[in-house]
Amino acid sequence: MKNMRNALLFILVATISLGISAQNVTVKGTVTDKTGETVIGASVVQKGNSGNGTITDIDGNFSLTVPANATLVFSYVGMTTQEVAVKGQKTLNVVLSDDAQALEEVVVIGYGAVKRKDLTGSVATVNSETLAAVPVASATEALTGKMAGVQITTTEGSPDAELKIRVRGGGSISQSNEPLFIVDGFPVESISDIPAADIEDMTVLKDASSTAIYGSRGANGVILVTTKSGKEGKISVNYNTYYSWKKIAKTLDVLSAADYATWQYELAQLKGSSYVASYEKFFGSYTDLDLYDNIATNDWQNLTFGRTGHTFNHSLNINGGSDKIKYAFSYNHMNDKAIMEGSSYKRDNFSLKLNTKPAKNVTLDFQARYSDTDINGGGANDVSSTYDSDKRLKYSVIYTPIPLANLDSSSGSADDDLGNLYHPLTSISDNDRMQERKTLNIAGGFGWEIFKNFKIKAEVGYDDYRNNDQRFWGLTTYYIKNVPSKDNQKKPAAQLANTNRHKFRSTNTVSYDFSKLFKGDSHHLNAMIGHEWVISKSTVQTNVIHGFPESFTASDAWKYSSQGKPFTIDNYINPDEKLLSYFGRVNYDFESKYLLSVTFRADGSSKFSSGNQWGYFPSAAVAWRVSSEPFMESAKNWLDDLKLRVSYGTAGNNNIPPGQMNLNYKSSATSWINGFDSYWSASKIMPNSDLKWETTITRNVGMDFTVLGGKLNGTVEAYLNTTKDLLIQFPVAGTGYDYQYRNMGKTQNKGIEASINWTILDKKNFGLSFSANIGFNKNEIKDLGIMNDFGEETYWASSEIGYDFWIAKGSSVGRMYGYRSAGRYEVSDFTGYDETTKSWKLKDGVVDGTAVLGKLRPGTMKLANVDGSADNKVTLADREIIGDANPVHTGGFSINARAYGFDLSANFNWSYGNDVYNANKMEFTNPGKYQYRNMIGEMAAGKRWNNLNADGTICNDPAQLAAMNANTTMWSPYVNSEKMIFSDWAVEDASFLRLNTLTLGYTLPKSLLSKAHIQNLRLYVTAYNVFCLTNYSGYDPEVSTIRRTNLTPGVDYSAYPKSRQFVVGLNLNF
Amino acid sequence: MLSLAGAMTSCDLEAPSVSAMEEPNLFSVRDLAEGAVMGIHQSFGETNSYRGRFLPYYGINTDLEWINNIDPAKIADDGKYELCTYATRPTNSQMNTDNNAWAKFYEGIERANLCIRGLRTYADLTNPDFSQLLGEAITLRAVLYLDLVKGWGDVPGRFEPNSSETVYLPRMDRDSIYIRLLNDLKEASDMVSWPNGSTVTKSTERINKAFVKGLRARIALYAAGYSQRADGIRRSNSPELTVDKMYAIAKEECIDIINNSGCVLGNFIDNFKKLCQDNTTAGGESLWEVPFSAGRGRVLYTFGVKHKAKDQYTEQAQGGINGPLPYLFYDYDVEDVRRDITCVPYEWSSNLVNGKAKQEVRSLKSWCFGKLRYEWMNRIVTSTNDDGVNWQYMRLADVYLMAAEAINELESPAAAAPYLKPILERALPAAKVSAYMTKATANKEAFFNAIVEQRGFEFAGESLRKADLIRWNLLKTKMDEAKEKMKQLARREGAYADLPEKLYYKIDKDEETLLFYGLNHGETGNAPAGYESVTWINTEKLTDELINSLYQKNPDENQFWPIWQTFIDNSNGMLSND
Repeated sequence: MKNMRNALLFILVATISLGISAQNVTVKGTVTDKTGETVIGASVVQKGNSGNGTITDIDGNFSLTVPANATLVFSYVGMTTQEVAVKGQKTLNVVLSDDAQALEEVVVIGYGAVKRKDLTGSVATVNSETLAAVPVASATEALTGKMAGVQITTTEGSPDAELKIRVRGGGSISQSNEPLFIVDGFPVESISDIPAADIEDMTVLKDASSTAIYGSRGANGVILVTTKSGKEGKISVNYNTYYSWKKIAKTLDVLSAADYATWQYELAQLKGSSYVASYEKFFGSYTDLDLYDNIATNDWQNLTFGRTGHTFNHSLNINGGSDKIKYAFSYNHMNDKAIMEGSSYKRDNFSLKLNTKPAKNVTLDFQARYSDTDINGGGANDVSSTYDSDKRLKYSVIYTPIPLANLDSSSGSADDDLGNLYHPLTSISDNDRMQERKTLNIAGGFGWEIFKNFKIKAEVGYDDYRNNDQRFWGLTTYYIKNVPSKDNQKKPAAQLANTNRHKFRSTNTVSYDFSKLFKGDSHHLNAMIGHEWVISKSTVQTNVIHGFPESFTASDAWKYSSQGKPFTIDNYINPDEKLLSYFGRVNYDFESKYLLSVTFRADGSSKFSSGNQWGYFPSAAVAWRVSSEPFMESAKNWLDDLKLRVSYGTAGNNNIPPGQMNLNYKSSATSWINGFDSYWSASKIMPNSDLKWETTITRNVGMDFTVLGGKLNGTVEAYLNTTKDLLIQFPVAGTGYDYQYRNMGKTQNKGIEASINWTILDKKNFGLSFSANIGFNKNEIKDLGIMNDFGEETYWASSEIGYDFWIAKGSSVGRMYGYRSAGRYEVSDFTGYDETTKSWKLKDGVVDGTAVLGKLRPGTMKLANVDGSADNKVTLADREIIGDANPVHTGGFSINARAYGFDLSANFNWSYGNDVYNANKMEFTNPGKYQYRNMIGEMAAGKRWNNLNADGTICNDPAQLAAMNANTTMWSPYVNSEKMIFSDWAVEDASFLRLNTLTLGYTLPKSLLSKAHIQNLRLYVTAYNVFCLTNYSGYDPEVSTIRRTNLTPGVDYSAYPKSRQFVVGLNLNF
Repeated sequence: MLSLAGAMTSCDLEAPSVSAMEEPNLFSVRDLAEGAVMGIHQSFGETNSYRGRFLPYYGINTDLEWINNIDPAKIADDGKYELCTYATRPTNSQMNTDNNAWAKFYEGIERANLCIRGLRTYADLTNPDFSQLLGEAITLRAVLYLDLVKGWGDVPGRFEPNSSETVYLPRMDRDSIYIRLLNDLKEASDMVSWPNGSTVTKSTERINKAFVKGLRARIALYAAGYSQRADGIRRSNSPELTVDKMYAIAKEECIDIINNSGCVLGNFIDNFKKLCQDNTTAGGESLWEVPFSAGRGRVLYTFGVKHKAKDQYTEQAQGGINGPLPYLFYDYDVEDVRRDITCVPYEWSSNLVNGKAKQEVRSLKSWCFGKLRYEWMNRIVTSTNDDGVNWQYMRLADVYLMAAEAINELESPAAAAPYLKPILERALPAAKVSAYMTKATANKEAFFNAIVEQRGFEFAGESLRKADLIRWNLLKTKMDEAKEKMKQLARREGAYADLPEKLYYKIDKDEETLLFYGLNHGETGNAPAGYESVTWINTEKLTDELINSLYQKNPDENQFWPIWQTFIDNSNGMLSND
């Protein structure tokens, strides 16, 4: 930092001179830091007359003429500001010390800001420097691994992949656990459209004492984003650009052509003679199998996801201003051609921020942000569609590796429920999608200090969101074969959905600093009260068009929509969402030693009926700066700061769809009833007029410390959050409705978090620092109301598996439920083969899996008789909890080093102790009811059980079969019941440690740049996803594909694969 | 500014639903109210409702019908085999989902309850258009309740829209439900028109007076009949549900339909062809059909003749999932026209020549029902999962046979005979009809037996048998009889001694139709020239193990399915299977 600091201001010093007013004394001197290095560019200002000041020159010297009794204020970014009385002296040499772990740093909290040293709640911050160090697409991505207790999961590898954010686990069961996002005071739905370059800092409020000021909606934490504002001084222009190349990070081995053909033959033999006839149509006879030796194969994973993606990103930030007006303008453009065919992402952002001071005690602020995002391509997977069966990644693995004449989707299975075999590239173009999102956010603020320390502030804001989502279903999709009416079946279909949402916000606050009330400097008391009104209106217009001409592609259908037949035109106007709030906060401290903060918020929500509309959320926090106590004096030489914090408070949640109170009829389109294309019905969700706020009580204890002269600081916290009156989407099937929102049940999250920052070396030309954080969280369902437990289906294999997640009292959300694998049946498990019944007879005492697996033969996978039933049979009752998607701990660490203009940073993140449900592996190793699917290397010849005699018959000779399989390790892929079987074999440890980014930068010496009037030029290279240490056998352990509900986390099923990326870029500042 | 804020009181927090409609507006406009009645049908079509679960599985297994290709080794599947073989567990994998028929039936009931309340409160019921709709809603609710009672015995009775007090209800005695339904239908029959009596009732897809009365007759017979109760199998003890009272209702309603509905019996085959051709003109045999659109419902999918590939008749390779028991074909009179229509020994080949499949011999153990055939349709099914043929819920032949049964019980065989005869007359040559009638009218018992037999021949594959056998208390008896018959058939003994072991067949000149020799009793001679043969009947083709898997547990002790575990768990302790 410091070498840059010195170099950076060289030119400034050389060129800028500040006005000097009439004086009595000319003070000269040198500013140095603790190591004796001169500080260049430090500001030296006469106290009380900010117009009179200067900055230190290249040697750290300054000269300023001031009244002899004046006080000089020395300040420099990152260092503690010092005031020195002149007292007539002509020479003043000042030593500035580094900010003791930036204790003076201002941290944004709800409706205000406090100095870090005065914080009483649990707050984590990431600043612009951290954000700027590594180029990332969005604000959320930048948070990955940076904050203790904030777990960010990149659910897939697609450019617009959802990033799941969990602050301390989340309390809800069925409802979203997303934190509340506030950008410059405005609540927004998502922060993924904000470029990282625009962000000044991000703050995560974790405990109720911090979140309670947001009352409702604060229960899952609050993420505050502050965008960059103009700074007083010379105009500053920043230009950042990078270009990246990316490739798929990992592919799975599939069977060779010969192995594939052989396995298909064995499969056909196992399924029965008619399947052999079908096989021969495509492959020819068994005796000709050698034709497939060494023939070329199509690597579909490579053809689908193998292209080199490119990202180009550049941004321009201009800011500057005077003490009267400050401005910040930014433009950001990003163009991302992703690794999947047909997949791309483009985003443009503009923002303008003006802060003016028309009078000494008045501020007027204005800002506007606009973002326009285009996402092309359907991704690998649809998570929310009901007809979610045409998976792209899956086809790229299981599609036949060799061209088979006449193979169409119906080959190999009569039942096409899940989609069978589609050409991976056709499947992509047949599931095409184009989304365009536009967000405009405008806000204005008026501040007026009516009299000293009494301020009022009024803010209004408007947020406009438009999403244009165009979807296409081509000829191979499940949708067009089943949803449209008969005349339009098997013809392309499209959906055009337009969402318009407007949100208006008005916030007024009054604050007063009671400093006058107290004599001296010991007591500080300030108070703030406020009021807020947020109203959100939204309309979703969904047009579904069926029956396009068969030749139509996606773009044809979107352009020429009148060529199809309208199925639904639904202009759905949602009930308004209104939130009216009153809130207040009092902060008090005594000598900055004993701190107290009390907040209270009352929220009224239109989502509840009158009587239940208002929720009241009080909180309190106390902190004790132990290090300021006299008895700690002896520790002063090593302990800079030690603070203990305790907080207790409540936060609320109204995270349910609006309009749940009354019974209303909705019109829906239908293609199921003859003669009618629409019907009226009550919602499938039963109304509930008794709904009220969900409340989370959080208890937090924390300790902040700074030692070794500010070189090492850290935080340790523990919390216990209980959420009661949970708003649950409660299953009520059998009453006439599917669900009802209820306040029911109770959950608990408890955990410990720690983070440290350690500046190991900090010399003029080199430095090294390290920071790390870790969070442990344990979630427990304490109560589920009238139920003890219930199951949830992922449904990835239609209804073949049934419940594969189990939600139970005393447990947590994310428990996977299935059988225990017991390896495979060996020949020795059978008494022998019975020719007459054509079946193998199981020995007594050997577990009998017939009910689940169908007819058994040696090589069949074996399941354990978990319930110990006397008949030794495996049934549905033999399923149990076999996995847990919740990590024991997650965290990250980063190492930053610099030397002579070079900087190097490495950011790691990890997750430990969670499981992943590898549905891919199940499907890629089990043909199910299908024929002609390829498999992954796990089932290659030599590994999988072999039933095939050399002459092409199925071997039923015990001795020979045993001999053939003496060296094989896996079971036979074929399961006679022709179902997917979920056992703990498919549950894998998802622990990972990822080197998320590795950056090497070089900042050119100032001497070279000065002539071009460039202040700073840095070139860098970054690698993303450099490596991921994991035992997981699939694509990537950080995955969560089935996101239709919150109840099925951690499933890896046909996710868009992640890529490895290499970036070159530059930061330019003038 | 703050004072302005203070003015925003909590009444500003009202946020009415905009794109939603409230009851008064909905039920006072006919077209909108009709849309609400269609909402009931939407529930019929839900994936695991009638469409994909109740229709395929409720009616089997009986002494006529079974699920084809049971693998005795896999029968303990906690799935479809157990469902059909009287060994169902509450965890059944086909049914134990929260979107199952149970839930969707109650969804339909709630929608009906809302329509009934809405129409009664806000509609002008002097206007026949509105009373028709109210009658439809009441009748559809009765349909749903009847099927609930058939499937599960005593079930919760929800006759008003849900309120917070009625979210959780225990089972209601089936007698109370029957009494309620009989009253409801009496009321509804005055609200709706006879077939073709109004624009709406020109279609068999809408509720008409004939169906309401027919349904009332059917319910009366069930209500008076036997069924399994906590204290064993018995008739109702309710004085309101005596045999006399109930059979009188059945008689009265059926005779009213026969005399006044304008509906006529046509040829046996025409009813099914019409059904397959989506011909819903009222006035024929069909009284009411579940109005599946062409893209919804698994009717042929389950009950049709099997097509193994996409061929000249269908792009959906389905059918043959359920089929007649192997002996049924041989029990029909050789000249009974219903025989070849009901039982089909072939399927359509997977091999196509010039895009066309041909018939291929199936096997003795897996006959297809033939009343529903893709080849009779005048459209090609393109959906991969649904065929869209309507489910015929009741036809006129049923009304005749119910009348005959009731009158025999109340009066005499002679008085009942005129209602049995028309059914036989269209099935058999006149001489055989006379002979049969003579035998049947000998006494009450003989006539009853004739009704049992004829309802079997007439309705095999229409999912009526199971409930009939239960109300007659003949379920196990007849199923044991069926097992015995199948064993005799497999050994070619008894009534089946005059059947050949081999079946001879050749493809007809049209290159798709199979001609057979050896299906008829006595065809034991040499096959005509050019016929190929296949071993058709022996104990390997129809193993005792398979025959014995007709049922796993005593059907009389398992007349009803258990309530699925998910609904027990969700019932707040109100429901159990004890």
